[in-house]
Amino acid sequence: MTSPEGAPLVELRDIYKAFGGIHAVEGVSLSLDVGEVVAVLGHNGAGKSTLMKMLAGAYPIDRGEIHAYGRPARITNPAESQNLGIETIHQTLALADNLDAVANLFLGRELLTPWNTLDDYAMEAAARKVFAQLNPNFRNIRVPVRALSGGQRQVVAISRAVYFNARVLIMDEPTAALGPEETRMVHELVRRLKAAGVGIFLISHDLPDVFALSDRLAVMKNGRLVGTYRTADLNEDDVLGMIIAGKRVTRVEQRHRKVVEATT
Amino acid sequence: MESLQLSALDLRLGLMAAVLAVMAIAFHVLTGNFLTPENLYNMAQQTAVVGIVATTIALVIVARHIDLSVGSVMGFVGVLIAYLQYTAGWHWIAASGAGLLAALAVGMYQGGLTAYLGVPSFVVTLGGLMSFRGAAFLVANGKTQPVTDPVFVMLGGGLDGALGILGSWALAAALAALVAWRVVQARRAKARHGVPSRPLAVDGVFAIGLIVLLAAFTAAMCAYQLPGKTHGQGIPVPVVIWAAVVMVAAFIVRRTRFGRYVFAIGGNPEAALLVGIPVRRVTLQLFLLLAVMITIAAIVAVARLNAGTNSLGTGMELYVIAAAVIGGVSLSGGSGTVLGSVLGALIIQFLDSGLLLMDVGIGQRMVIIGQVLIVAVAFDVLYRRWSGERLA
Repeated sequence: MTSPEGAPLVELRDIYKAFGGIHAVEGVSLSLDVGEVVAVLGHNGAGKSTLMKMLAGAYPIDRGEIHAYGRPARITNPAESQNLGIETIHQTLALADNLDAVANLFLGRELLTPWNTLDDYAMEAAARKVFAQLNPNFRNIRVPVRALSGGQRQVVAISRAVYFNARVLIMDEPTAALGPEETRMVHELVRRLKAAGVGIFLISHDLPDVFALSDRLAVMKNGRLVGTYRTADLNEDDVLGMIIAGKRVTRVEQRHRKVVEATT
Repeated sequence: MESLQLSALDLRLGLMAAVLAVMAIAFHVLTGNFLTPENLYNMAQQTAVVGIVATTIALVIVARHIDLSVGSVMGFVGVLIAYLQYTAGWHWIAASGAGLLAALAVGMYQGGLTAYLGVPSFVVTLGGLMSFRGAAFLVANGKTQPVTDPVFVMLGGGLDGALGILGSWALAAALAALVAWRVVQARRAKARHGVPSRPLAVDGVFAIGLIVLLAAFTAAMCAYQLPGKTHGQGIPVPVVIWAAVVMVAAFIVRRTRFGRYVFAIGGNPEAALLVGIPVRRVTLQLFLLLAVMITIAAIVAVARLNAGTNSLGTGMELYVIAAAVIGGVSLSGGSGTVLGSVLGALIIQFLDSGLLLMDVGIGQRMVIIGQVLIVAVAFDVLYRRWSGERLA
């Protein structure tokens, strides 16, 4: 799929979502460009996961529009999102623990033989290549994934995005459960995908992650977008202030406050 | 273990096969007539009905559901098939087709409530357990419906319901060729994709073991001669049907998307939804597949009894679920095998027949089989704990 020159990969326009009487997302607009990493921040319950799950097709949107590659897109289920080149690494990783790494990589999108049966060996061969590329030490790809380490499980979830050539990647708390070594691997991967032109939405609570990786950041509170900013224009205190206060605390105000605090 | 590529699953099945062998030898030593062609023939034939349904109940449990109504639905469908032949005068094929449609309607109803409305399958099928037993009575107002069509009756085994010596060996040879072809083909496909195969010796031992077992079984069936007959019986038709059902079910599990999705849903229903698996549709299809198996079992059961009665299949749900569970299906979902359901059904039958030959009364037999179910599951829990740490 090609997009008109200069059009964002994804544009969310005025999106609404309610669960029963709870407004989880209210009038949020957000866009993502080629090779851009946009961090989505906010407290638990701020609506960031809900917003991303709508883009992933896990929840239908109540109101609003999603545009992909400059055209209106209809996303009502995960398959439609995947068909648009949007891959999602869910916080829970969405792995079937009883199946092996190969089966999980292709889950829902299995390779078939001409007789429409599962082409297990083709899948295994393809999976070996992808896994070797992501982590050369990952060999036990034929045991149930419940037996794997946290980092290996993460590799399996990430391998879906790599194998299916994601153009847009949603990562929900990708490093929350990882050690420093594995976190470094995820950072490296994000930079590599970014260099290849993939657009990435990064949901994270980890501010060092956000500052290391993102170009822009969007802060949400109580289902609404507080604002979208260039990461380079802010520091961690600014961001924390927005997450907690729900409004932009400008640096001028901040300095002013410091002066006031100092003089009283 | 790693070098042989034996999974925990293979080990478990191997262990169960060993248990079965030990049971057979022990019962033979104790009774003197357990491992005779006659007893083996009767046991194989008697296990078929439970075994046919157990293959698919195993998958239903893998997907975190249950069906308590299988015995009642089988009774209902069985009486219907017999009624349409005896009272309505239909040809047995038409009657069986109508039985299949009725079973599919039941599957659509119960599976639909479970899959689309989200009513727990335990509740839906508990209701079905009572309702369809009642329906089995209503079909013919409780009257027994005899069936006489000679071809239909053959499907249940009985005097002429076996393949004969020539037919049995022809079938055995065809299956042996299939086993050998599968091994060769799998190794070639792996080589083509650059996927490592396990050592040829391991594959060879498995294939030859399977073929020897097949030959031994065929020989035993052919050695059984009914009084007044000039030839051995050969493999009984219900066993052939059961074997076909097992092969189809195993194919579905290992080679189709549907089979893989059943396991994915059982392993992690939320993940299945997130990756785009149509969970509801797969769940409904699973209940429809079970309906097909129930119909096949009903045909065999009615043909075997030469009649449809409203008590047909009473209590069968317990044996079917027990067979699946003894066969290693986890009630928490996500794990189990079709072959395990076969071994589970055989273990129950061996126990039942062996104890019967030892003149153990029905009361004691039920006490023992019930406790064996618990022992099997307790063992399974411990085995999973152990293999989860060491092998996974």
